[in-house]
Amino acid sequence: MSAEEFRLLRDHVYAHCGILIREDMKFVMERRLWPRLEALGLPNFAAYHRFLRYDTRRNAELDSAVEALTTHETYFFREPVQLKAFTEEVLPLLQQRNAGTRRLRIWSAGCSTGEEAYTIAMLLKESRLFEGWEVEIYGTDISRRVLTTARKAEYGPSSLRATPPEMLSRYFISLGASKVRVRDDIRAWVSFGHLNLLDAESCLLVPRADVVFCRNVMIYFDVPARQRVLQVFSDKLVPGGYLMLGHSENLLNLGAAFELVHLRGDLVYRKPELSWKVER
Amino acid sequence: MTTDVPTLQEEERYRAVLGLDPAGAGTLESLISALHDESWRVRRAAAEAARRLPAPGEVALRLVSVLGERGETGARNAAAEALVGLGDVALGPLIRLLGHSDPDQRKFAADILGQLGRRGAENALIQALADPDLNVRVSAVEAVGRVGSEVGARALERLLKEEEPLLRLAVLEALTQLQWPPPLPVVVPLLAEGRLRRSAYRVLGLIPQVAATELISRGLGSELRSVREAALGALGTQASVADTPLRAEIDAQARTSLKRLPNAMEFVSQAFEAEDYYVRAGALVAAGALREPTLAVLVAEAAREDRLLREVIRTLSRLGAEAGRELLGRMAELSLPARAAAAQALLEMVDPSYVPALSALLEWAEDDLRAVAVKALGRTQSPDAVAPLVALLDEPALAGAAVRALGVLSGGCREAVIKALEAVMEQRPVPAAVAAYAHAGGTAALPTLRRLARDADPLLRAAALDAAVDVDPAVGLELARGALVDEAAPVRASGARVVGRVGDASAGSLLRRALQDEDIAVRLAAVEALGEIGAAERATDLEAMVRHPDGALAGRAVRALARMGTIRPEVLRQAARHSDAEVVKAALQAGAVSAEGVALAVEMLGHPGWDVRATAARVLGDAGGRESLEAVQAALASEQDALARRALSDAVERLSRR
Ligand SMILES: C[S@@+](CC[C@H](N)C(=O)[O-])C[C@H]1O[C@@H](n2cnc3c(N)ncnc32)[C@H](O)[C@@H]1O
Repeated sequence: MSAEEFRLLRDHVYAHCGILIREDMKFVMERRLWPRLEALGLPNFAAYHRFLRYDTRRNAELDSAVEALTTHETYFFREPVQLKAFTEEVLPLLQQRNAGTRRLRIWSAGCSTGEEAYTIAMLLKESRLFEGWEVEIYGTDISRRVLTTARKAEYGPSSLRATPPEMLSRYFISLGASKVRVRDDIRAWVSFGHLNLLDAESCLLVPRADVVFCRNVMIYFDVPARQRVLQVFSDKLVPGGYLMLGHSENLLNLGAAFELVHLRGDLVYRKPELSWKVER
Repeated sequence: MTTDVPTLQEEERYRAVLGLDPAGAGTLESLISALHDESWRVRRAAAEAARRLPAPGEVALRLVSVLGERGETGARNAAAEALVGLGDVALGPLIRLLGHSDPDQRKFAADILGQLGRRGAENALIQALADPDLNVRVSAVEAVGRVGSEVGARALERLLKEEEPLLRLAVLEALTQLQWPPPLPVVVPLLAEGRLRRSAYRVLGLIPQVAATELISRGLGSELRSVREAALGALGTQASVADTPLRAEIDAQARTSLKRLPNAMEFVSQAFEAEDYYVRAGALVAAGALREPTLAVLVAEAAREDRLLREVIRTLSRLGAEAGRELLGRMAELSLPARAAAAQALLEMVDPSYVPALSALLEWAEDDLRAVAVKALGRTQSPDAVAPLVALLDEPALAGAAVRALGVLSGGCREAVIKALEAVMEQRPVPAAVAAYAHAGGTAALPTLRRLARDADPLLRAAALDAAVDVDPAVGLELARGALVDEAAPVRASGARVVGRVGDASAGSLLRRALQDEDIAVRLAAVEALGEIGAAERATDLEAMVRHPDGALAGRAVRALARMGTIRPEVLRQAARHSDAEVVKAALQAGAVSAEGVALAVEMLGHPGWDVRATAARVLGDAGGRESLEAVQAALASEQDALARRALSDAVERLSRR
């Protein structure tokens, strides 16, 4: 891949979904897209770029390219410190706040193959704070392929590598041969959909949420793209709603739409309330 | 609970800042006072708002004055942030601030200039390297590391002779950032200094010379863990900048040093856990040098850092077939990036014993992994691989890969492949199977292909046609005539493609209808085909298509005309006005042979697309005369884009020699 081909493809992908591939990642891009060229029988990356722009199948192919370029790595109970803080400190607050409506909505944005959304559901069950509530967890992702897996809810050892044994026995059914399926009562709380976070229109379909999880997704975005996505989250969160980012992500230099909240166990972001009740 | 909940008043102040009218009188002063607010949210909002005010020059000056308010740390930091946000207009005031009498102010200026990252500050920062105050000098060093060019790097290099260790440390870091290693003799004494060691080794790694490799290897054998780790980091750095012959040298030297180390395995395994990216890169080189298959999983997991992917694949391939089997057996446990890297490396190690494990992978893995498994199955050269591959021919995502793998496989076990495909042809042919069968069967497949060209399923008709032309061009052309009047668009498109591949100029009339087809895919195929066969009598049709709003059609028409060698100046100009940059580029490339084309390229140096400007520069470098030199030089002077700059400076160089 020439430097020029790299830049053209990069610009094209960036315009579509905000994913920015750094200059020094040319090799990675080449490796990941090469199978696409092979699958389409194209001779070189210039031809691939033309295909993405002009072929009648270009939209589907753009999805596949983005798919190949993003890492869908995810697993159950990823980043336990944050999840602990979420369970012990955020959930009780939400229970109080929403006691009137007895309804809780959580959005897992960039959910990949669904482990995060199901993990959240399991934590809610574990907490026993929301029994009899209307609980909805939305998992969305730009990749259609990962959503197929998410809906199936069947997982192997790689997904389970951080799952505590007691959770494994409580919330999964063994399918033999080191495969498991998420139990139906957990699945009932979770639904999945296809959504490009950078496409404002498709985001209109997401309902307002009490919490947004968006972990290890914005790492691919540059500052303007992050800003756009944060705006979406700010629109979609109820006032006082929480935004949970990945461990290595922060909102430095991204304006003041969210405030940093110091929990005992972790730092999280929150959309400001409209009027402030000072807490104990 | 200790939550930082903003008070009501704070929220009001915050909203007040957001509500300020940028054009209002007194807004600047309100913002300046907000920069002094006790709440960081308010300060941040004020810093943000500052960049939207009119008269940014004035804003910059006022912000610089805030930097001078000792004791107001929050306000000063917010002002600094706002200045960075202002961009170029902040440059002048900050450079002047470098001459302030207060060293604290000068240091601030250097820091902010570093964050701004504008080349225009380089000279001023270089002067600040001689500042009487040490803190200012260190900040200046860091800033030059961010904005510097060669001139800056040379200036930094001279500072390595200074006494002050802190300064030298900063210099080493800055030189690393600039990827500019000082000469080897300057680096050697620094390796012995505890505080400088890690950075000195890092810089050493940037020197692509055997002598540097020797020093690094010596470090690998050190008694001190910290030295060994620093050396490993250097090894990782050097491997990433080395060319092939040096790379072989690096591997050999590393192997010798590591073999002398009693706990090499333990040391290397631990290094995979290191925070430092370069140490992990070094661990990969070391693992490859040790050729220790038990490290395979650790090596594969290093691919979780994208930038290490290349090295991971390389290392795994060196660990040999035993490592391959280990990885294949543990695929399900590996993280996703590790799996992808492992799969890629497996391709290099594959042998017939891999078939069962690869077939198992097909059952559960992700599509990209499965694609690799498919390819690997082809390389096993084992008849056992035929059935799992044939089974994939009706899976759209993998069918293409399976066809190619069957092609590779038929090199070793042709009979088995043909037999399996014949069975498919009898029972339930699918397009991919048709292609595979034609490839393996050759002329023996022709009767079947002729039959399928009349099948009720249009996709099979198209596939049979595409396959037939590979086996026998004459048969292909004969079938194509029928295909061009088929009722199904995919078949017509296929017919047009086939004419393009095997027709001659006289076949142009066959394509006349296809050029006006209702289906755009057919039209695209026809345009392409006309270019291939060089049917000049259809040029007028193509010229009309250059004006088509669809960039795909217009671009292909331009390229087709260029291939025929009949592109007229008006048509060229028309194409250059197309709203799609790809069409403009096609026009530039097509025009390179004519005087009009060269004139057009000069105009396109001002196009908004970097790729168009780069293409124009290349055309001028290839085809322009010395009279274009001035225009190219002017374009270079104002070019911001790195790739376009390179094309322009190449063009300047070539034109200057004319
Ligand atoms: C590394 S995964 C993170 C999964 C999960 N949140 C976790 O932390 O384990 C990142 C996911 O973000 C998705 N993604 C990337 N860009 C996106 C976009 N513009 N819109 C929606 N999803 C996107 C990718 O498809 C991928 O599945």
